[in-house]
Amino acid sequence: MISLNTENSRDTKLDLANLTAEQTALEVKNLDLYYGSKQALFDVSMKIPKGQVTAFIGPSGCGKSTLLRCINRMNDLVDICKISGEIMLHGQNIYDKSVDVAALRRNVGMVFQRPNPFPKSIYENVVYGLRLQGIKDRRVLDEAVERSLRGAALWEEVKDRLHENAFGLSGGQQQRLVIARAIAIEPEVLLLDEPTSALDPISTLTIEELINDLKSRYTVVIVTHNMQQAARVSDQTAFMYMGDMVEYADTNTLFTTPAKKQTEDYITGRYG
Amino acid sequence: MNKWFKSGNPWIWMTAGAVSISLVAVIGLLLLIAARGLVYFWPSPVLEMEVHQFGKNQTVIGELYETELVPIERLQASGANLEGLDGDFVERFLIKTGNREYVDLDFRWLTENEILSKTRPENIAVVERRTNGNFYGYVEGIVKGGETIDASLDTDHATLYELLERSNDIIEQADSLQRSDIGSINYSLERLRLKQRKYEMAEELTAERLAGIEAEEEQLHQDYLVLEKQLFAYRDDARRDQLIIRDMRGELVTIPMDNVLDVFFPNEMNWFDKVGHWVHQATKFIVSEPREANTEGGVFPAIFGTVFMVMLMAVIVTPLGVVAAIYLHEYAGNNSLTRLIRIAVINLAGVPSIVYGVFGLGFFVYMLGGSIDSLFYQESLPTPTFGSPGVIWAALTLAILTLPVVIVSTEEGLSRIPSAVRQGSLALGATKAETLWRIVIPMASPAIMTGLILAVARAAGEVAPLMLVGVVKLAPTLPLDGNFPFIHLERKFMHLGFHIYDVGFQSPNVEAARPLVYATAFLLVTVIIGLNLAAIQIRNRLREKFKTLDQ
Repeated sequence: MISLNTENSRDTKLDLANLTAEQTALEVKNLDLYYGSKQALFDVSMKIPKGQVTAFIGPSGCGKSTLLRCINRMNDLVDICKISGEIMLHGQNIYDKSVDVAALRRNVGMVFQRPNPFPKSIYENVVYGLRLQGIKDRRVLDEAVERSLRGAALWEEVKDRLHENAFGLSGGQQQRLVIARAIAIEPEVLLLDEPTSALDPISTLTIEELINDLKSRYTVVIVTHNMQQAARVSDQTAFMYMGDMVEYADTNTLFTTPAKKQTEDYITGRYG
Repeated sequence: MNKWFKSGNPWIWMTAGAVSISLVAVIGLLLLIAARGLVYFWPSPVLEMEVHQFGKNQTVIGELYETELVPIERLQASGANLEGLDGDFVERFLIKTGNREYVDLDFRWLTENEILSKTRPENIAVVERRTNGNFYGYVEGIVKGGETIDASLDTDHATLYELLERSNDIIEQADSLQRSDIGSINYSLERLRLKQRKYEMAEELTAERLAGIEAEEEQLHQDYLVLEKQLFAYRDDARRDQLIIRDMRGELVTIPMDNVLDVFFPNEMNWFDKVGHWVHQATKFIVSEPREANTEGGVFPAIFGTVFMVMLMAVIVTPLGVVAAIYLHEYAGNNSLTRLIRIAVINLAGVPSIVYGVFGLGFFVYMLGGSIDSLFYQESLPTPTFGSPGVIWAALTLAILTLPVVIVSTEEGLSRIPSAVRQGSLALGATKAETLWRIVIPMASPAIMTGLILAVARAAGEVAPLMLVGVVKLAPTLPLDGNFPFIHLERKFMHLGFHIYDVGFQSPNVEAARPLVYATAFLLVTVIIGLNLAAIQIRNRLREKFKTLDQ
């Protein structure tokens, strides 16, 4: 049996299909994605609510990471990737030609599977995004570092060695540093691509607690293939299978009374 | 036996053997040139010998330079005197007798039977002279300001060294006067001449301007006369004292002090004196300038030229190669054209270097330099400024030669950077260019340094192309001096590699030059190793700084 996080505000269930514009952070509309001639996403549509944690689950290769990477256009880096459909952010399609991809990514931050700090000091890692924006004021940067590191629950551990190389940190600390780096530029949406898959259980727990804190300020979208994790941290869960969005519901419903047979099979461990 | 083959042992032996052969070759080479080169500065004893040669007895004073065993038949064939010899081999000695202007040859071969007696008198002096090479003999007297002092009163050579130091100091002052003050007057005069010529060509030479130029010229000329007078005074002063030396013919020879560079008494030296002398001579070799058609003196201009040219080349090739590699790796599409370009670049490394020299001469010197001259230095034509071989063209030619090395290793470095780090930067809103500048290039810098190390190693050892594009046997001035604009990229320069060739193969005095060849070769290797070690040091720092996840 999967334990559920009950302290979340699931009492006021959102009607995911009919979110108002105010409640919606992102809307995916009829998204098809091809890697060359192979189709990886089939007509995905969903609304991701603001200020909540949305989890994508599903077996390996089901397209959950691909979908996540569409949201900040990381798939642009893959030459053979072709996309049709829309992803709406603030009423604008992010795949529109007029969109500045760099600005979009400042607004939609991303944390990857493996911690990927830059070969710089802890301090410089955190202020990287700010320096890109041309901020040079030492005080602003110092404040941002403290705020972000506190936000990523790392401040107490590293405050005395901010100018040491980030590679001296443990894997879990590095991952929190990467989160701090992402929230330093104050994005609206934070995409987490299996953020704990390379970490030990204790670091995983710290990160999960952190995700809970983050949702008060950011819309969090997390990809995980750990169902317990999805159940613990998310408010909404989307189950994907072979590029299809099979079921999308609030976490409680999805894990207790799934509507689809496929979902039930997956969460009860019959395949995947 | 079959089992032994299957075990892989022969294979291991073979690989280890290959490594040992390489190792022995490298170490052997270094030891050979180090030993032959460094021994040159060690003071060898000076012998006084009674010799019976060519039917007459005579006294020979000189350094024992080399000993070899010669088959007796060979000597027979050359018609030498073989009286009193038996066995198959004869010992033959090469004696450096110096005193070039009084004997036919300053080197002489003696077979063992020709030497009647051999002594090593303590008080034989070796006089290093500015012209005509070494002089060997007994110091009989010292003339100090017209008054002769008997050398036997000067047992610790205090007076001798005092006067020697005096004249050397004065000569040094005279040299620096000639070089810096008089040199800059000449430089200014030349610029004035060019200025006047420029006005003439533009037909803007007004009477007023001409008067100005002439006034300046007159002023410079007056300055020059003052300095010249001072220079002559210095020279006369340096010539005040003389040494009186009895040479091996038994005659007294007077050597003016201004021709004496150094005097030493090798037979009086104990081991520590010899070490001191060795250090002194080796230092002199490094810091002084060549004399006597490069067969004597030091190699400082060549060291300076080599290092200066290599650094200039590094400054040119690094940005060019890095930028080219970035385009090839980051921006160019991964198609057959890119692959073709890449193969072409790699193959450029295989083009013989003399071909680059020809290209450099044709393209850089004649076309580019010629155009620069006709555009900016028209007033000095027909004398070329940039239109003749010079250090900048040499550096450019070698930059082209080493470009493939830098491109290949930079590309290698770029491809080793984990894509996770790039994506991390892009996900924070960096553009591709920002990611390149802030993350990728710093992380690839150790690989860029590797490329640079290889480039420097190759460039510093290259001689053939340089002979076409800028190296000369003797450059009167360094490419760097005190006259504006201080760096003179159009000047010709000296190079250790070419110096080896020149001393070894173009020298009028083969015997004198041979140890210099080894010493210069050793120095060249040392310079290259030094440059490489510096670059490796920087690379290790960078590696430490940009350690990545997977290491």
